[in-house]
Amino acid sequence: MVDRILVISVFFVASCGLAYELIAGALSSYLLGDSVLQFSTVIGCYLFAMGVGAHLSRYVRDQDVLARFVDVELAIGLIGGVSAALLFLAFAWLSAPFRTLLYLLVFAIGALIGMEIPLVMRALHARKAAFADLVSRVLTFDYLGALAVALLFPIVLAPRLGLARSGFLFGMVNVAVALWTIHTFGTAIAGARQRVLRAAIIFVILGAGFIGSQRLVYWGERGMYGDEIVHALTTPYQRLVITRWKDDLRLYINGNLQFSSRDEHRYHEALVHPAMQSLPWARSVLILGGGDGLALREILRYPHVKQVTLVDLDPQMTRLFSTSEPLVALNHDSFHDPRVRVINADAARWVETTEESFDAAFIDFPDPSTFALGKLYSVPFYGLVKKHVAAHGLVVVQATSPYFAPHAYWSIEATLREVGFQTFPYHTYVPSFGEWGFILASSENDFKPPRQYALPMRYLNADVTQEMFTFPPDMQRISVEPNHLNSQALVRYFDEDWHRVIR
Amino acid sequence: MRRRDFILGAAALAGGSSALFVEQQRLAATVDYPGREQGHWLRDTQSLPQPGDTIETDVLVAGSGIAGLTAAWQLTKLGIGDVLMVSGPEAQGNAAAGRRGDLVYPTGAHYLPLPSMESRHIREMLFEFGIIQRDPFGERPIYDERFLVHGPAERVLFRGAWQDGYLPTEDSGPAERGEQERFFSLIESYSSARGKDGRRAFAVPLELSSTDDRFRSLDRITFKSWLEGMGFKSPTLLWYLDYCCRDDYGRHFDEISAWAGLHYFCGRDGLAANAERGAVLTWPQGLSALATRLQESANLGRNWHAGSIAQLRAVPSGVEALLVVFDGTLKCTRVKARLAVAAMPLFVLQHVLSDGARYDFSAKRDVPTYAPWLVSNFVMRAFPEERAGVPLAWDNVVYQEPGLGYVVSTHQDIRLGRPERTAFTAYHALSDMEPNAARRWLQSASSADLIDAASQDLRLAYGWRLPLCTEHVAITVRAHAMAVPAPGFLSNPGRIALRASPGPIFFAHSDLSGLSLFEEAAWWGYRAAQQIAATRR
Repeated sequence: MVDRILVISVFFVASCGLAYELIAGALSSYLLGDSVLQFSTVIGCYLFAMGVGAHLSRYVRDQDVLARFVDVELAIGLIGGVSAALLFLAFAWLSAPFRTLLYLLVFAIGALIGMEIPLVMRALHARKAAFADLVSRVLTFDYLGALAVALLFPIVLAPRLGLARSGFLFGMVNVAVALWTIHTFGTAIAGARQRVLRAAIIFVILGAGFIGSQRLVYWGERGMYGDEIVHALTTPYQRLVITRWKDDLRLYINGNLQFSSRDEHRYHEALVHPAMQSLPWARSVLILGGGDGLALREILRYPHVKQVTLVDLDPQMTRLFSTSEPLVALNHDSFHDPRVRVINADAARWVETTEESFDAAFIDFPDPSTFALGKLYSVPFYGLVKKHVAAHGLVVVQATSPYFAPHAYWSIEATLREVGFQTFPYHTYVPSFGEWGFILASSENDFKPPRQYALPMRYLNADVTQEMFTFPPDMQRISVEPNHLNSQALVRYFDEDWHRVIR
Repeated sequence: MRRRDFILGAAALAGGSSALFVEQQRLAATVDYPGREQGHWLRDTQSLPQPGDTIETDVLVAGSGIAGLTAAWQLTKLGIGDVLMVSGPEAQGNAAAGRRGDLVYPTGAHYLPLPSMESRHIREMLFEFGIIQRDPFGERPIYDERFLVHGPAERVLFRGAWQDGYLPTEDSGPAERGEQERFFSLIESYSSARGKDGRRAFAVPLELSSTDDRFRSLDRITFKSWLEGMGFKSPTLLWYLDYCCRDDYGRHFDEISAWAGLHYFCGRDGLAANAERGAVLTWPQGLSALATRLQESANLGRNWHAGSIAQLRAVPSGVEALLVVFDGTLKCTRVKARLAVAAMPLFVLQHVLSDGARYDFSAKRDVPTYAPWLVSNFVMRAFPEERAGVPLAWDNVVYQEPGLGYVVSTHQDIRLGRPERTAFTAYHALSDMEPNAARRWLQSASSADLIDAASQDLRLAYGWRLPLCTEHVAITVRAHAMAVPAPGFLSNPGRIALRASPGPIFFAHSDLSGLSLFEEAAWWGYRAAQQIAATRR
């Protein structure tokens, strides 16, 4: 009977062992990319460490075999159990030594696991089991356990529980094996009572981790963003995180900063007012994107605007910005203005189907970083937009940074010209973004940058406006291709430009 | 006892999880065999049923593939209104499409190269449908970019990572790159070459190609032996050229005429003002988009008749045909027409045309070999995770695989968010089997066998994730998908005779060219309509 307990424990021990290896491999490929490299190095390090562990097991004295086995199980339970959460936090809070920690953890777990099987074999051997039978039984269960986890991990555990929680779960299994061994062999293990206590403590830690790992992800992200997170939600389209530090509210979408409340007025005044000041007759305005309601806030300041249509993909985004108190304060509750109509639809598809026409359109899409997004800055898309804007109307496009991504910026400009717009490129400095660019487009060549603003502004005045429409020598126009859908030149420009800037 | 229980329990656990895994790895498919039942009945039947009613019409168009639809479109345009279209067993033929929920996908061909200068019939069609927006007959027309394939157009899975383009270049050495350059400069010179008759060496439509023996002699050897003669050895280049033959003609390059092999590269040199060289036109539902536009413009209304023409012959008063409808029972109607367009493949025509000798058409001599294809649509409930390298493209090819890769039906979408679902259309010409053996295999293959064959490329690209993301597989078995342009095909006498038919039956099908291309099918349909219109004047 007692022998059987040991053999059974091999099954669980083997499954836990493989699980930690898979978790480390999956987590590092998730965080660092290049899964082939990550898995190879993790597995290599792990197997080597197992060899070291097996070697070390010879230094365990015969009478201590069971006690050491229990200790090893507890150590694996603790280290293995917290490894995934620890790695995640380390990546979020201090990105530099992540790899060091990864391989240290993998090595430690591997070495401990390398000790397990030799110890079990010795314990069985001491109980006079026939050698052939012993080897066969132990290894059979070793491999069976590995099979079970290899199948469970990708199908059930990783998708359902996530990596951090799976780690805690397997840690608890290791501790359970230790407790079971103590329970079965009781008297044969010195200091059993003390070990039970230790096991209980570790079990509680792991259990708390299992329950609280959602919270851990939150803390991890707080590390990444640096500030306190006031809102975080994952929608089918994106992960929205809102942080606060003193009076600075920030919105991140998929980890990219969208605005900081300290300087967003610069961005949104620059986006909206040069065009709106020139359209005192404008009644209907279209915003594509802009689910934060900030461009909306600026447009609604004009009493002659009778209707604003805002098309944003994500209903959870517009809901958040029309209900959350600090955000509503920021956008002056613009979503509840009776002149506003919110359409939660894919802007590109909506433009294709709508028959409405507008006096002004503001296009505030994410940067053209993928081929899918690049299509929203293309010749046919702007052609479509042109059909829905009045002949005297204006279009303004968020166009990335003319300083950091000049080829991309001027490609967007060339694309607007390609569909017959007259273009009036301009730029401004937004401290949290750097130098940022817009392009104002008109079907007729009648735009003059405003010399004054009818409404009070925090940032814009005549001088600033004049400067915005002037490009200094280090930001001059470059000759680039327009963004045709067939070649998608813009996405390549954008990629190359930012590669040059980001280390 | 307890040990036994435990071992059993452990085995059950391992077995259970394996079973769960295996079960999730299974793919469910529906299999469609368009025209199989009707075709085999036509082949095997001894006596045709007696017709009940008689329909009279001015022009009968038998077949609703691209040739038949182009003929109907032109006839309507030329003011010939009394046209009866008999669809054949599958409406739109090789240009057909399928649908599942709001997703549409091709069950046949999926793209059209930019038309060459000679393809005026295609340019006319595209201009009329608004696909060419300006300068339809110029060197570089402006196209509606929604239908020009969006970048990235293609990629190849080579040594575990995806690369841009079809031809692996990143890991190939200087010798390989040198050969690639030599091949393409050779193509360049052939593309502009003209024969003694002043015509281009390789033109689309094929009929407008030069008859100069300098080029025609290429039809006597296979593409493979021509390449060997030219000293090409690069494995990646040879793989690519063989791939092109399989992709367009359904067979390996050692079975394809060298003339046809070169025609693939030299004939399709249409340009656009707003696309790169080599761009193509494509739609989520493939060429069904164009077929449907042709159908709408032909404005057939009630003159569209589902059913098949089982017999066709010239009579003193014009043409007589038997229209059969398989609708549980067999319904048979006589059709009397002044003129007819037989827009059907030659392997069907041999059973339908009761007086073939009159046109010097001999079934034994003139019916070409047909390549069997599987067109399999994997309706995906999610996009599976990609391997390393360039992102998902429109056409995705796996290096050195028997399959021909897969096309993404939602690639042309212009939208902010990624669609939740998509369809991957996997093409597989059964070119590793002799065509008749492949057809016998298709007859007996279970849907599981077909899925195995159809999913090879996708399995390599996505591994065990493929089944987890797949909602449904719709397989279309096209056992006679296309005529194979084997050496000698250009001089086949029956084909030449059918093209020259003075009526009352005119023939229209890409089989008259021997190349299964939209442009060729449309050419013969267009020409038949012109000939019919000429009989009026």
